[in-house]
Amino acid sequence: MGYVAVKAGKDVIRKSEQLFEKGRIEGEEPNVTVEQVESQFGRLVGQVMSEGGLYAPKLAARAIKQAQGDAAEASFLLRAYRSTLERFDETVPADPDRMFATRRVSPAYKDVPGGQILGATKDYTQRLLDFDFDDTDPTEEWELADEKPESLRNVMELLREEGLVADPDAETDEAFDTTRDPVMFPASRDAVLQELARGETGAMTALAYSALRGYGQVHPTLGEVRVGELPVEIEHPYTGDAVEVTSVEVTESESVVPVFAKRDDPQFAFGYGLVFGRNERKAISMTILDASIQLDGDEPAEDAEFVLDTVDGIDSFGFIEHLKLPHYVTFQSILDRVRTIRERRGLTNVERPEGDASTDRSTPEPDATVTDND
Amino acid sequence: MTDDPDHEEMAATTDGGLATVADEPRAVSDLLSETEAGIAGYNYAYLDEHTKREVRRGVLNAIALPGHQVPFASREMPLARGWGTGGIQTTLSLLGPEDTFKVIDQGSDESINAANIRRLAETTADVETTTDTTDASVIQTRHRIPEEVLTDDQILVLQVPTTDPLRRVDGSDDANRRRHAHKNYSKMWVALYENVVEWGEIQISARYPVMVHDRYLMDPSPIPRWDTSKLNDADSLFLFAAGREARIYAVPPHTDVEPLAFEDRQFQVERFDGKRCHRCASTDTYLTEVTDEDGVTRYACNDASFCEKRIEDPTLSKSHHLDDETVAWGPGTPDPLVDDARRETVLDNGNSSVTEGGDEA
Repeated sequence: MGYVAVKAGKDVIRKSEQLFEKGRIEGEEPNVTVEQVESQFGRLVGQVMSEGGLYAPKLAARAIKQAQGDAAEASFLLRAYRSTLERFDETVPADPDRMFATRRVSPAYKDVPGGQILGATKDYTQRLLDFDFDDTDPTEEWELADEKPESLRNVMELLREEGLVADPDAETDEAFDTTRDPVMFPASRDAVLQELARGETGAMTALAYSALRGYGQVHPTLGEVRVGELPVEIEHPYTGDAVEVTSVEVTESESVVPVFAKRDDPQFAFGYGLVFGRNERKAISMTILDASIQLDGDEPAEDAEFVLDTVDGIDSFGFIEHLKLPHYVTFQSILDRVRTIRERRGLTNVERPEGDASTDRSTPEPDATVTDND
Repeated sequence: MTDDPDHEEMAATTDGGLATVADEPRAVSDLLSETEAGIAGYNYAYLDEHTKREVRRGVLNAIALPGHQVPFASREMPLARGWGTGGIQTTLSLLGPEDTFKVIDQGSDESINAANIRRLAETTADVETTTDTTDASVIQTRHRIPEEVLTDDQILVLQVPTTDPLRRVDGSDDANRRRHAHKNYSKMWVALYENVVEWGEIQISARYPVMVHDRYLMDPSPIPRWDTSKLNDADSLFLFAAGREARIYAVPPHTDVEPLAFEDRQFQVERFDGKRCHRCASTDTYLTEVTDEDGVTRYACNDASFCEKRIEDPTLSKSHHLDDETVAWGPGTPDPLVDDARRETVLDNGNSSVTEGGDEA
């Protein structure tokens, strides 16, 4: 199907949308519901909310269904929707110590206040394809005390009390919002953290891995990785008191890095990560990138501008895929350059027979031969 | 987060003495239900008024500082980034119900991306659309400036993928902003010089760097070199917008715009060596080539709308709609090899004053 010389552009777009939609429903199996996506693909829902920058599980599930499981596309749907929403208010700064953790590991110590909570994880599962889902709840027969999940003291606090970890810069009165102000460099740390929290999981993992792999100096020890429900509070418009309005599932990680900034007062550097949903890979990557950027060195992961320019999935996927758009105007210009330079070098350019104006006036559409199956 | 606890929480608050605001949304789900009607739930021209004001302020700043890149908080649009989101944000901030809107992509009104942007403007801003360049008040374009001369009633919004010409020599926006502030373009000049040393030519095809009003070096978006001179001393306003890169810049009417070049390597446009459009036989328009299955190469006007008019009237000038038909833009196609050879000869003879024609760019 030609994608340029089509008079009825709108019809073509509609038909391609319909074809795409057909791909979702043409199978013989019953349609997956938005509710099923939300409850059974929780990790994907979390990733999409995190990269979309909007905590809305039902909308994220809807986006995943609409995008036929493409996480980047679903995050984009969520972001495009988000940009039409009014920003009503800001929450009171959330204290992660108040998180109700369902999982918490602290690799830095054998045991920690509140204890290690392995929680639900596949980390130690042997990765064998399961050919026999039995779809029953394997925890049904557990005998559980009626305990609520606990809020836990952060391991990093212990180290800070000892003066072993550098303190973050004092918080500013008003948080920078990268969705309302463009990020300029040098960027403030809150802008960096916000952009990292919205970063694409794969890109974050790759860049963080680059630092570990040798293109950097950050090989952190994780103080904390925890997953849980973080209460969200707003200031009550009349009483001014903080009121809990909802909670969000988040993954938090904090790490120490044995790089000392001050010779007279050696302290660990640190990195922080907090992302929506259950996404430990991204949260840990975020701590590495935060730590690397704070070091401000010469390696790729230590360059805030490089990291923030490349880590956003919506930006990168859009621009990479824009290469599918027609580029024949610029390509004609490029052809002109290579032919001219060859000519200057005394190389001959092969002349193709040229369709003449007089013989070709009858051709209905000049660009009809430009075809592309995209 | 589920909606139910939310709802209870908010409802409890409302019952506690705030019942007067019963009509206001009480939960997230109430807000969402408003937008289920699709585009009907969105603001006029899609963007909220706050965003439009911000974009328009950016545009005004850009006009006040020709060629300077003004940052703005680019919003995510329902088009992918890199597909014209800066252009569409600017366009939607400018359009009013009386406007007539044209969209071209690679010179064509009918390319799918152009059709897609046009339908977004049609459905959200309810504007008239046209394919006739002379009828449009706002034209959004990717990679071309139309062949017909634009007037002082018209605004051309160019979609920009890469905002800074210095990106060719340094990837860091931070460093490049400093260079712009100091008007320090030496690294660019050196790169061009090295280009000439290595290839005998400046290798840049489209996106040819230009100096605006003798102050800011500017990336004119990936328009072919053919279109570059149209920016100089034009009657119309040119706006350049990049959504992914969150920058807006402008060339106001009657601004000096000069492509970077050397005395002995003058700025050259694309050569077509006497080729002509196989449909309308034009020789003074930007052509693109297509080779068919039999190995026959055909050239055709890239500006499809003007080509249609030329088929009707092969003598139609590019300024046929103006009082003074001699006003025209877009270059002829001189032979750069011959021209450069002549200049080199003259320069070798010790006469360095030969720059005549250097300004014709």
